[in-house]
Amino acid sequence: MMEMLHYPFMQRAFAAGLIIALLAAMSGSFIVLRRYSLLSETLAHVSLVGVSVGLLFGLSPLWMAVAASLIASWSIEYLRSVHGMYSDSILAIFLSGSLALAIVIVSISGSFNASLFSYLFGSILSVSNDDLMIMAFFGSIAMVLLTLFFKELYFIAFDEEVARTSGIRVTALNFMLVSIIALIIALSIRVVGTLLIGALMVIPPVAAIRFGMGFFKTTLLSIAIALVSVVIGLSTSFFFSLPSGAAIVLSLLVIFVIALAVNRR
Amino acid sequence: MKFAPSLFEVRNLSFTRGGNEVLKSVNLSILEGEYCAIIGPNGGGKTTLVRLLMGLEKPTSGSIKLFGTDQAKFRAWNRIGYVPQRSALVDASFPATVREVVAMGRYAQRGILGFESTEDSEAIEESMVQMGVADLRDRLIGHLSGGQRQRVMIARALASHPQVLIVDEPNTGVDVESQHRFYELLRFLNKTRRISILFITHDVGVIAEDISKLFFVNQTLLLSQTPQEMLRCDAMSRLYGTPAHVVSHNH
Repeated sequence: MMEMLHYPFMQRAFAAGLIIALLAAMSGSFIVLRRYSLLSETLAHVSLVGVSVGLLFGLSPLWMAVAASLIASWSIEYLRSVHGMYSDSILAIFLSGSLALAIVIVSISGSFNASLFSYLFGSILSVSNDDLMIMAFFGSIAMVLLTLFFKELYFIAFDEEVARTSGIRVTALNFMLVSIIALIIALSIRVVGTLLIGALMVIPPVAAIRFGMGFFKTTLLSIAIALVSVVIGLSTSFFFSLPSGAAIVLSLLVIFVIALAVNRR
Repeated sequence: MKFAPSLFEVRNLSFTRGGNEVLKSVNLSILEGEYCAIIGPNGGGKTTLVRLLMGLEKPTSGSIKLFGTDQAKFRAWNRIGYVPQRSALVDASFPATVREVVAMGRYAQRGILGFESTEDSEAIEESMVQMGVADLRDRLIGHLSGGQRQRVMIARALASHPQVLIVDEPNTGVDVESQHRFYELLRFLNKTRRISILFITHDVGVIAEDISKLFFVNQTLLLSQTPQEMLRCDAMSRLYGTPAHVVSHNH
């Protein structure tokens, strides 16, 4: 079992996977409670546009994914908060629109299907040292911001209007949260893949909520579930030569089913 | 002669939504220590007026001063406790204990990375005890009854030690006994802790003896007087636009 950790690529995959799990579960708690779960799925599809553009023009797919995801997250939040549009409608538009755009770009080039496949579903072989450094750097910034504003983001998730009237800068914090989520999603595409990162953000908090605890304990449990899923998923991926993203998500689903069975209400 | 300071000062306030005039030229003031109620027909603009006071809507024209400061420059929001309409409607599975919800009332004062101080803990405890929810501290908010949730929301508003408490239709979906306890609590807060009260209600008769000022709002502020002057059939008819009879009752 431990022999897999002798391989440098597995060490990098575990390090990257655990960073992503920690961030995804922590930020995911806020979007799940705000009925905003599809945000992660939508931004993951938008990241795919960035990856496609990067591959087409020979630019860094990772940075292009970050740029596309950030721009989309700000646009979505702007349309929701300023124009008062229904968030699920905006997400549906961005999700299908970005997927259509990515497909068109892929069709035009027609030459990078193999590379694209690893971005879609994740690949433990694809995490480089540079990727890991970037993840650690931006992951630390995201972690610090989430910790600093943890209580304010919780208040906003519980009651946005009362949070605003109590003096909390709701608009700025909402933009900060979607930016962090966009960053986490774009950074995670090497390990989990664009099409599966949504599950890592949504399933851990949903499973943890089933245990009926307060928010602090629920968030800790959510992080623990995400970390365990990544360890099980990456190990399975190594031993059975499966795409890492799919293996992680299937691990999450097993834990979710167990949480449902234990907490039948 | 000593004058009480003005907490809210509204001048020529108008608000239009989607081309419809919801409020027109409203002028009112609420002084320190006053116990005020807003009544009026559904759709008359009562909730909109409160939302304008709290900065949740932007007025089309007119001005609002809070504690003598223009609303745009006002920062001391902890001086106002706000319990909006239907705030007690919480998803049953929302992961929030009673104590976590009441503690939210202190968040804005704690600042970035501000850990809970002894003062915060005491304020939270005091609010929970005052509202009779201290024994429920570890229960999930979504597992409580409507009346209990309402008390938790008021405890959250009180935790910031406000000077004025605004409550929008507090008794929607709450049983008669809880309503009675609620009115007793408002009286206590006003008389003992000197917290000014402003709330929207449909049942002004129950609290008529406590109220110092009553606002009749139906697109504009029709009257602003004492309850004794206003609880007359002609005033009510003018407000609701239909013949009205005032019936006294006690719950």
